[in-house]
Amino acid sequence: MRGTQRSDTIESEREVNKCVHCGFCLESCPTYVVTRSEVHSPRGRILSVKLGLDAEGIETCMYCRRCEIACPSGVKYDKIITTARRPDAFKKLMLKTLERPRLLYLGTSAVMKGNGRLSYRLRDFIASPEEPLEHEEKDPDVYLIPGCITSTFFRGTVEKALRFLQEKGFRVKILNGCCGLAHYSEGDVKGGDEALNKLVPSHIKSSGKVTLVSLSSNCTAHMREKGMNVMDFHEFMKSMNYHVRIGNKFTIHYPCHANLLGITKSLADVISDKENMVQMDDPSFECGAGGAFFLFNEKMSDLVIEEKNRKVKGSGAEIVISTNPSCSLTLKKSGKKVLHIADFL
Amino acid sequence: MSLKEELKEIVGEKWVITGEESSLFSVDGFTAYKGDPSMVVLPGNEEEAVKVVRSIVKRGEKVIFRGSGTSLSGGSIPVDGEIVVGLSRLNRIEEYKGNEVIVGPGIANIMVTKNAPPHLFYAPDPASYSVSSIGGNISHDSGGIHVVKYGPTFNSVLGVKVILPDGDVEDLLFHNGQLNPMSIFIGAEGTLGAVIKARLKLFPKPESRVSVFATFDSVTDAGKAVVEIFRKGVVPSALELMDRNIIRAIESSRYKADLPNVSAMLLVELDGSIPQVKEEKEVVKGAIEDNSGRIIDAKGNEDEFWKARKGAFPSMGAISPAYVTLDCTVPRSKLPNALESIEKISREENVFIANVFHAGDGNLHPLIPYDPNNKESLLNALRVGEKISKIAITMGGVPSGEHGIGIEKISIEEMYYSEEEIAVMKRIKQTFDPNNLFNPWKIFRPKSLPRQDDVLKVMWEWE
Ligand SMILES: Cc1cc2nc3c(=O)[nH]c(=O)nc-3n(C[C@H](O)[C@H](O)[C@H](O)COP(=O)(O)OP(=O)(O)OC[C@H]3O[C@@H](n4cnc5c(N)ncnc54)[C@H](O)[C@@H]3O)c2cc1C
Ligand code: SF4
Ligand code: SF4
Repeated sequence: MRGTQRSDTIESEREVNKCVHCGFCLESCPTYVVTRSEVHSPRGRILSVKLGLDAEGIETCMYCRRCEIACPSGVKYDKIITTARRPDAFKKLMLKTLERPRLLYLGTSAVMKGNGRLSYRLRDFIASPEEPLEHEEKDPDVYLIPGCITSTFFRGTVEKALRFLQEKGFRVKILNGCCGLAHYSEGDVKGGDEALNKLVPSHIKSSGKVTLVSLSSNCTAHMREKGMNVMDFHEFMKSMNYHVRIGNKFTIHYPCHANLLGITKSLADVISDKENMVQMDDPSFECGAGGAFFLFNEKMSDLVIEEKNRKVKGSGAEIVISTNPSCSLTLKKSGKKVLHIADFL
Repeated sequence: MSLKEELKEIVGEKWVITGEESSLFSVDGFTAYKGDPSMVVLPGNEEEAVKVVRSIVKRGEKVIFRGSGTSLSGGSIPVDGEIVVGLSRLNRIEEYKGNEVIVGPGIANIMVTKNAPPHLFYAPDPASYSVSSIGGNISHDSGGIHVVKYGPTFNSVLGVKVILPDGDVEDLLFHNGQLNPMSIFIGAEGTLGAVIKARLKLFPKPESRVSVFATFDSVTDAGKAVVEIFRKGVVPSALELMDRNIIRAIESSRYKADLPNVSAMLLVELDGSIPQVKEEKEVVKGAIEDNSGRIIDAKGNEDEFWKARKGAFPSMGAISPAYVTLDCTVPRSKLPNALESIEKISREENVFIANVFHAGDGNLHPLIPYDPNNKESLLNALRVGEKISKIAITMGGVPSGEHGIGIEKISIEEMYYSEEEIAVMKRIKQTFDPNNLFNPWKIFRPKSLPRQDDVLKVMWEWE
């Protein structure tokens, strides 16, 4: 344990030293865009780590990693922030809950009935949690990974995806759990890796015969970065040469981590009525959810949500396609219909 | 009420930053020296900005304005406890009218074109254009790759509104008459007034824009080709040169564009009407080939090549954690000699120097890496830098083409200007700011050092 922490710190230090303080990352950062303060900018955060300050910015980072795309020096910002952050007791509990979506369902159902800030906030974004769909066939050839939030708050999407896979003749097993991205975002790298190992045990990872399909694009990105061979749902559709029709003016949101790995670029390829597509300004601009960020940093998150939805509304689209669940929750605040590509099956 | 309380009342509690967090505003793009602000204030609009400045100057406190903090000469570094007033939140676009626009100073340069009517663009484009602010651009009179044809920021600013050091507001957005009173604020680095609004000129987008790329076996030949292009009567809209060292840095960074591994590369952009551009392209090709250059086909990578150029400075970060950027200019005809001299210095002093610069206007940018954990290495980089600047000056050039004097070039500036010229500048400063409250440590060598500091000593030649 000590050993890994030390190597984390060394890696973080190396990345901190790579930063030449050019500021090229500023306008790519959602929290800088809405505050225009160095404190809430990637450069400011890196400098606070360098100077060893206990600065507010460390807490307000949404871990969207857009700054990494903007950085010409190739600073791997994620290494810095995950080393600088540590989850408190409450967040630790939350992370544990994400690993077991059934618990998440029971937990959020209970909390949503309450009167605290968190209860209010949850009600503001979530209609009603549903029990995660369980499904297991013998000798599965496709493992469907909904992602913890999709399992619990978008069961309808999981049902559609499952039905599609079955109709196409696949034997499916659903893997409910958390890929560990949420843990990384809170600085719990070790916990994140453990969560992923629990979600996708090594015998599945190493088996060359099965296909892993993910319904949450940022989770797809995270699992790929962790070296897993996993397909985003739309990529699977594409490999089957299957197209859907949206039927109305639509725009595509690029979830941040998926965008970092270039995953959502091909989403338009599985849509047959491209004539209905309109671009929103800066489609990979952070949605404002930041995983669970929106639950704990309400003010900052609301400002980013507002900025994002201004872009959404500016596109003139009726429908927003979002293949990542936490993004979908905040995009709904635009008043538009927000749907996953699998919802059109 | 204390000043802090007063400022909090004006801008709101969370926009006044004190304590250790304020040190996040202690440096800009020039990282060799770290300042220490006593406080940071981020007003949210023009009215607040005026009130903030009035409160500060009323008490005789010193203040420094900050845009996006990308200055390469340390322009926005609070050297000795100045209060930083950041104007980045004043980023509104007031209105586009004809081929003009009025904006707040905090807006990023890129946004002016992005929001403009589709047939217009804002021409000055420093490589930092995606983040650097219009207020900062005006205060450093920043250039960019399009200076060679469209001029630096100066040529695109039609009017400004400023807060003066006595707290008065002067509205020069629309001014009449022979003298142009607003021009004094362009390039003044925030020492004479704070720009709180600017009226900018937009150019119509050209009908056609094409690029020509060429490689050379020596930087001197590339320099000769540059001279030749102009001699043949072509004024490109951009003309940039990169040497092998900077190409190496770029190729190890995110801006990797599969650039050829050559001694020198020229990037030329021509814009105008279709027939004009076509004709000029042939002339440029001829000038390049006459100087042993080879035209290369970008194979659809044109944009990547230009992006690589724009990302060249920070991509140095991929090979060195810190670097000094020079900004001297030489007359275009002296380019080949200047490049030869730089090569010679690099050899003699055994230092790595990467060159990437605006060849079209003779604005050199030798980049000299150093180890930030080793003072001697920084001091050496600064000394080599000074040597190069001196050579440029003897060739008839100037110490700074676009990055400003800031704290970095104070002693070099004294080499260039005569005593009388500096005295005139000081009188101007004295007239506007008799108590030296606005950006007090910039441009002129102070009578004494604020504190014992090796870097300041070397830069300001206080040994
Ligand atoms: C990687 C990189 C590449 C660059 N490329 C170029 C280039 O190609 N060409 C070029 O010319 N420059 C370049 N620069 C330098 C820099 O970006 C410019 O000088 C830019 O104009 C600074 O803008 P800023 O908003 O960051 O200003 P800041 O750094 O915040 O401030 C610069 C100066 O202006 C003053 N100031 C800022 N705002 C105001 C205001 N509203 N009123 C009064 N004074 C004010 C400050 O006090 C300071 O003296 C580059 C910098 C970097 C880091
Ligand atoms: S991860 Fe996102 S929020 Fe955090 S510093 Fe980078 S761009 Fe900003
Ligand atoms: S863009 Fe990269 S090098 Fe520049 S300030 Fe941001 S993190 Fe540092």
